[in-house]
Formats: sequence, structure tokens, C-alpha cells
Amino acid sequence: MDQLIEELKKEIIEVLNLEDKKPEDIDENAPLFGGETGLDSIDALELIVMMEKNYGIKLQNAAEGKEIFKSVRTMAEYIKEHRTK
Amino acid sequence: MKNLKILSYSRITDDFVSLNGDLILCRSASDEPNDVAKHWFSEIYNKIGMEYPKFFKMDRLCKAGTLAAELVMRSLNLVNDSVKENWAVLCFNAAGSLDDDRTYQQTIQTKENFFPSPAVFVYTLANIVSGEIAIRHHLRGESSCFVLEDFSAPMISRAFEDALDTAEFVLGGWIEFDKGHCDVLLCAVGTGNEAELTDFSAENLISIYQKKY
Amino acid sequence: MNEIVVTGMGVISALGRGVEQTASMLLQEKSGVDKMRILKSKYTSLPVGEVHETTEELLDSLHYRRDKVITRTTLLGQAALLEATQMAKLQKGLLEGKRVAFISATTVGGMEKSEQLYHDFLYGTEHSEYIALHDCGACTNMIAEITEPDIHYSMVTTISTACSSAANAFLLAANLLRTGRADIVVAGGTECLSKFHLDGFNSLMILDDEVCKPFDKNRKGINLGEAAAYLVLESPQTAKERGVEPLCRYTGGGNRCDAFHQTASSPNGEGAYQSMIQALEEAGLQPSDIDYINAHGTGTANNDETEGLAVMRVFGDRVPPISSTKAFTGHSTSAAGALEAVISILALTRNFIPVSLNFKEKIDTLNFTPVTKTIRNAKLRHVMTNSFGFGGNDTSCIFSKL
Repeated sequence: MDQLIEELKKEIIEVLNLEDKKPEDIDENAPLFGGETGLDSIDALELIVMMEKNYGIKLQNAAEGKEIFKSVRTMAEYIKEHRTK
Repeated sequence: MKNLKILSYSRITDDFVSLNGDLILCRSASDEPNDVAKHWFSEIYNKIGMEYPKFFKMDRLCKAGTLAAELVMRSLNLVNDSVKENWAVLCFNAAGSLDDDRTYQQTIQTKENFFPSPAVFVYTLANIVSGEIAIRHHLRGESSCFVLEDFSAPMISRAFEDALDTAEFVLGGWIEFDKGHCDVLLCAVGTGNEAELTDFSAENLISIYQKKY
Repeated sequence: MNEIVVTGMGVISALGRGVEQTASMLLQEKSGVDKMRILKSKYTSLPVGEVHETTEELLDSLHYRRDKVITRTTLLGQAALLEATQMAKLQKGLLEGKRVAFISATTVGGMEKSEQLYHDFLYGTEHSEYIALHDCGACTNMIAEITEPDIHYSMVTTISTACSSAANAFLLAANLLRTGRADIVVAGGTECLSKFHLDGFNSLMILDDEVCKPFDKNRKGINLGEAAAYLVLESPQTAKERGVEPLCRYTGGGNRCDAFHQTASSPNGEGAYQSMIQALEEAGLQPSDIDYINAHGTGTANNDETEGLAVMRVFGDRVPPISSTKAFTGHSTSAAGALEAVISILALTRNFIPVSLNFKEKIDTLNFTPVTKTIRNAKLRHVMTNSFGFGGNDTSCIFSKL
């Protein structure tokens, strides 16, 4: 799990172009959206694409992302359970 | 006829950044010559000490425009949270959003690796650069983006004058990024009486554009 | 402010070709949104508002050879331009000494051909003649050619501000007329469907897999569409000199920037509110003067609620009859502002209010519901049409009876 969390932090920084952030700057338990990361709806969509591309998880509805992207930890938990690759 | 003045202007090219004719930064020659955006825009961002995380999410055209606008608005002491109702934003270039269009095409290029990127798609519109500048500086006036054959000072000055019929100020100018090369001349224009300010005219835009920096 | 009248209009959309066909479909409450038939996208389950004529049929109807090097965006534009210029009698002999400008809005441009031929371009020179037709300006220039030699345009330009593009063409037209830089302006927009922007909108997860439901509580998103439409605008004096009977007046336009997000509207629709207010001010009208609003009403959760809230801020508890015609036509993006201007003018001059199809339940935060049954014999004096685009580019136009 911890390994997946670390992996996710790096991927999030890369796909969302958080050039000013390092993996250690992201608290896996802190809210990903609405917090100080300043992420918006487009970022959520980009994370949905990333889940499909890297983990083979396809969301049909953007609203599902709301629960999954609460924090890096909730995201990791969801991926662990649903990944197909 | 209103007494229109260039209140402040900035230039960003492959080689330098300047503000009101003063050199701010030169690009080190060792940088990637075929794509100046690779390090150049981050270097400018750091040099001017900008703090705007959204900057890193932008496509290269928006980065160029946002940096140039930051310099101009900063020199006018206008980087703040107050809403500027009477500012219009007018951008001009030749390549539109072609640079980002190419990046987006890469995400849908092959069947095997077909992942259209939403974050890239939103920048496939040339007018997003005027939107980004308006968002950063809370400018609520008219906003538009014109695609021209080439840099045309008469076209730019005419459009600015038109916009200034209703708007008090216009922020905008030539914002081009294509094939790894950038060329920006951005200015804020409004009525002014200060004698030291340059008159806003097509001739003066040309002379600024052609200056060494 | 100098008066401006509309002396001609032309249209082609999912509702068919021409203003008569468009009016007839609206009055019959018949949608043109249907299964994808022409666009070769893999998302075949998404309904779209396609112009039913294939590119070959369009070529034939405009008397081109089948191998003519031309894009679909251009063909749609030419079809609409011919209708508009014929209605306004823009013909040799009636244009002596008049400067005629042509403003066409598009964002997709020649993308539909570029994406079909992309691999050929990349790996060879075959079809490379289409590269020159890819950009937006090339489409406009080529559209203008169809009216040669009758009209020699003094100015030809393209506007590209996403989904408000065509509405902004009218604002520029008014500006050219009022500042005396043109005597007659043909303005509007054209856009064909492409995989490029369908995929993009789909990646934003704002496309509905059923026919869209603007202003409905359970709306799920947009159906993309394609269209072209143009208006001919001039002064009443010019129209009189040329012996042309005006259809209506163009009385005001407003363009404001929402300055909130690239694609999302601000929560209270500030830009939309301001553009409507600015249009009213320019027209010298009060909110109570507006008898019908043709809303932007795309069917997305974000647009319809924020546009609705902005409408409430402008009109208070007396919101005039309002509808979105996007469920008839699909969202024709850069052409939408012109298509909906034509629809608004049809409503104004033929005294009816088109419905918002597929509406069932009111949005909780709004105090109004859209028109759900065609209103005939409506007494309309002034109609407003909204067009909002990515980049927070928000535009409203007002057309008034003569």
C-alpha cells in the first residue's frame, strides 16, 4: 500500500504538472481537492484518465471521482481494489 | 480623440525578457535551441518570483502570455485580488493554439494509446490565453483573440482603439508560441497625461517590437 | 447610437437547410439531433446534431466536382452565406460604392479533413493540398469566394472565441458599421463536427449519451452539433437605398469576461450577468422589455445552473419566456451564436417562442422553468440570445422588431 501511495504521488505530480511540488510535500491523508493543492475539475478528469491508462480502471461518470479522489490514500485504496493492470 | 498611452509593456522572445525597454533576463545559450519553452518559461517564472501554481498547468502559449502580463501588471502595481471591471483583454498571434493542438493530437494519435487529455484539450483554443490572463488579474471587460497572418501593428492598434471605446484599459498584444519559439509583445494601454509615457500608435508598437529588447 | 438593421439571413444545421425549413422544424417541435451518421467517431452511441447532407451531397448542391479540395466547415459556410446574401440582395449593381465586410467565426476550421488525412500528411505528400485549408482563416477566405464576383469584400476576417465566436462576429459587425468602417457586414459562423473536438468534450465528461435536456434537473450534458449561419447587417439608410426590406433591428450586444476558469462558469454566472446587462444598456432597454431569451443552455450541470442564476440576477422574479434550442440542433460550438440569432429572429418576426425540448423537472436553485410548449401568436418586441464560451468569453445580443 505504501509503495502504491508513493507511486501515486509521483504520478499525480507528473500528470497534473505540479512542478513546484515534491512527493514529500503531499500528505496522503489530506484532501486532494479544495485544499491548498489548488486542484480543479480538469485535474479530476486528468486523474480519471491516469487511472485508466496506468491501472486499467474506467470510470463512466465524473461524479464517481469525488469519493475516490478524497485523498491520495482513498485513491490508492480504490486502485488496489479495482485495478486490472 | 482620447490621449491613449502605453502604460507599460513587456517583451518575451527566445532570447530575452524585458519590461518597458529594460532587460530582465537573457536566456543562456546552452538551453535546448529547438524548444525554448523547456526551461525558459520556468526560468522566467522563478526569476520574477511569481507565485501561481496554475502556471505549471498551462500550455506554452498561455505560459508566455501569463508571464508577460504578470510583468506589465506588476509594473503598474496591479497584481492584487481586486476585480478590474473596465479592463479588456485582446490577444493576437499567427499560430493560434497550434502548439497545444499538436500536443493534444499526440494523446489521440494511435488506437493503442488513445487517452485524450482533458487538461491538454482545454488549451486547444487560442482564446484561452486571453481567458487565463483575465483570470489571473480579474479582468472583466471584453476579451478576444485574433489570429493574423503576421505581426500587424495597424491591426492591433485598431482593435485596441475599438475596445477602448467602451473599456478604460486594454491589456494585450502579440502572443505567439509555435514550433518551440516564442515572440511576445504585451502592453497595457489607457488614457494618460504623463509626458514620459509613449503614445499608443501603430508606429510606436512597431518600434517597440523591433527594439533590441 | 446609429441604428442597425438585419436584411438577410442564411442557415444550415441539423434542422435542415434554409430559414423556412428551420422555422418549420421548430414549430413542429422536431429535433434534428440523432444517431451519428456522418462523423466517423468510435463513440457511435453519442447523439449529435449533424447536418443531414453528406459532404458529397453538399459538394453537388453547390455545383462542385466531387474531387474539389474544400473542407466541410467551408461548404456549410458557403451554403448559409448564399442564402443570406441572396435574401439581402447583395448583388452586383446594388452595391455600388458600398464597402461590404465579411466576418466568419470558427474554431474547428478544417480539422475534420486534417484528422482524416493526418497519417497521409505525416508519412507522405498525398492530400497535402488540404494542409493549406486547415486553419480558420483559410475557411473564411474560401467561404467568401462563393459570392464572387457579385461581392468584392473590403474586409474578410475570422473570429475564434470558442462557443461565443459567432455572437462576437455580430458585435464586431456593429462596431464596423457604427464607426463607419463598413457599409454592410455579413457576419456569423460555421463549424462542422470533428473527432478532435468530440473526443475533447468527451474527455471533459460533459457529453450526454441521450438527447440533451437543457435546464432539466437531471441534465447530463451536451450533444455536439454542426451548423453555419450568417446575418446581413447594415444601416436602415443603406437598406433603403438598395431597396431591401429589413427583417428586424440589431439593438445591442455585450461581451464580458467571466475571469473564473478555462472551462467552468463562475458559481453565480458573473460574466453571463454582466454580458446581458451590457447588451441591455447598449440597446437602451430595461430587463422588462425583453420578451424572449434564447439561452445558451448547453445541458451541462454547470452552464444551465449558472446561466439560470445570472438570468435571475438580471430579471429578478420576472424572467421572460426562456428556452434553449440546443436539443433541436445540438451545440454547434462556434456557429451556435449565429444559428441561435437566426432562430431568435425567426421567433421575433414570426411571433412564436420555440420550446426547450426534453425538460421535465426544475433545477432546485432556479426560480423559473423553460418554455415547454411552443407559444404561437406571441407578441415579441425584443429578444435576447446568449452565447458563452470557454475562456469565460460571454456574449449576449439583442434583436428588436422594426
